[in-house]
Amino acid sequence: MLYPKIVITGCGNPLFADDGFGPAVVEELNTFHLPDDVKCVDAGLGGPHFVFTLLNPEETKKLIIIDIADFGGEPGELRKIPVDDLPPGSYRDAHSWDLTEPLLRLKDDIEITVIGCQPGRISAPEFEIGLTEAVKNAIPKTIKLVLKEIGVDYGTAVIHQKEHRGRGAAETCSGPGEA
Amino acid sequence: MKINDEGIVERGDWLSITPVRGVEKLALGKTMEQVPKIASRVCGICPIAHTLAATEAMEASIKCHIPKDAHLLRVILQAANRLHSIALHNILTLPDMYLPGTDTKINPFSKEEPVRSVAKRIIRLREIGQTIGAIAGGEAIHPSNPRVGGMYMNVSPRAKDKMYDLAKEGRTLAQEQSEFMIAVLRNFQRRDWAEVAGKQIPIPKNLGYHNQGYMATDAIYGSSSLDENPKWFPERYIETRPWDWYMGEVTIDFEDPTYPIGGTTKAGTKANPQMQACTGVPTYDGQPVEVGPRARLVTFKNYDEKGTVGQQIARQLEYPDTLYSIIKCLDELNPSGKVLADNIPQGDGSLGWAANEAPRGTDVHLARVKDGKLKWFEMLVPTTWNLPTCSRALTGAPWQLAEIIVRGYDPCVSCATHMIVVDEANKIVAQKLIQ
Repeated sequence: MLYPKIVITGCGNPLFADDGFGPAVVEELNTFHLPDDVKCVDAGLGGPHFVFTLLNPEETKKLIIIDIADFGGEPGELRKIPVDDLPPGSYRDAHSWDLTEPLLRLKDDIEITVIGCQPGRISAPEFEIGLTEAVKNAIPKTIKLVLKEIGVDYGTAVIHQKEHRGRGAAETCSGPGEA
Repeated sequence: MKINDEGIVERGDWLSITPVRGVEKLALGKTMEQVPKIASRVCGICPIAHTLAATEAMEASIKCHIPKDAHLLRVILQAANRLHSIALHNILTLPDMYLPGTDTKINPFSKEEPVRSVAKRIIRLREIGQTIGAIAGGEAIHPSNPRVGGMYMNVSPRAKDKMYDLAKEGRTLAQEQSEFMIAVLRNFQRRDWAEVAGKQIPIPKNLGYHNQGYMATDAIYGSSSLDENPKWFPERYIETRPWDWYMGEVTIDFEDPTYPIGGTTKAGTKANPQMQACTGVPTYDGQPVEVGPRARLVTFKNYDEKGTVGQQIARQLEYPDTLYSIIKCLDELNPSGKVLADNIPQGDGSLGWAANEAPRGTDVHLARVKDGKLKWFEMLVPTTWNLPTCSRALTGAPWQLAEIIVRGYDPCVSCATHMIVVDEANKIVAQKLIQ
């Protein structure tokens, strides 16, 4: 299927410690049997300029963005952030593509949910691999939240959880056994 | 830039001041499976090139030959990546260009025709490139399918058909888009002036000319030390220090507050390119070289047009070849064929390198792997090669058009900043201040 009905994207860079939260969640989600019309994308650092060609407002009904967000909570705390509450310029990548504006444009055609996790530590500009304990522990909670968002029963999904198909980036960055 | 009284650039020093982040150091000691995943994360624009170059550098070091079908999938991923990258760059190029026959610059986001249909075609080409890339590579952005020894999985016959259908659709669109862009670029070349900040700036006929050489390893894919006839030579490469290359401390004494987006840097500001440069200056045969579309066409297709327009046209000429390569690989691809080498050696620490022809140029990764762990790693990314060459290409242009020359290189600066500096005796003398 070229355009899925539901797109789940994990944003961030696993080389900046907790910034790897989004990709790590997507990695884990991809081990679940999800409906055919759901697509999980590890958007990494390429969100703004890559993800939008993967959406089509005529077919895509829902976009879930998973990322870290500083809302002054405890590390690992999750929060759903309405798109309207995103301050302008709050999403930028190295090439200064602003994601907030396109999201605001899309929000009338696609239901957008941003799930933010309060990071414990972001190492940028220095490289550091691995999530902090609190943020790592937030992964299962996030998955439950996402599954609820897309109407998939957690219990059934867990029973059918499969082996990792291929080592995705987030997991492999942390090394086998460390994730 | 040093400019003369007429505003013509006498010397340009284009460099990256993004802090060095030391990915090569971070990767040391990691398993050879992890390194390509780490390399994929240094940049949000070029994850595919870095994944392929790093994976193949590991394979080159451990001397692992991958099955044919795995290689075909990688070439498909490579070509699909180049396709959507050229299309993205079109959006960056068009605002410098004019609608032929008018003095109106093109706004690619305009809802008016004919621009609207061009924008739609660009988006469709990007969708096609990314979707084919996602099928062959596992994921559209950070590909999960390539691994040391081949690929995790082959594609299904149905997925192969899907890619084929998309490639056929893309082939026609890419041809149209290529011809459109070339017409627009030729129109720009015929113009006498371009408007910048309300002024008509004369366009020199030699805009973006330089006399540096070119470096390319293949028209589409790349080369590695495992090849029977490798097309890149580590002994011809040497990295020199930026302080041997760039200007020393200068005080900016000219400013133009009307220049778009906030004006130029204020007069009186001090700059010190020698010390601020965060990349070394790589040379090939003792000179900086140009890498990218034109370098590939000059090396493999007898192309010879110089200057910024020549470089941009070379990029458009690569459009159709991306789709032809995909179709050719799909014709050969056997979806039941194996995609993982039977034997994956763990490495004895020998030097292996792989050069990937990324959209913006040759991306060379060098590695030593021993007992499955990385002992040494270096990434020579395309824009690092192009920074000093493009600096030379600025000479002779009105300073207001410098950006157009720089854009011709489709620079990607964030991953260009990591460096190990060697002196003439090839010893590491500094790992740069910022580390």
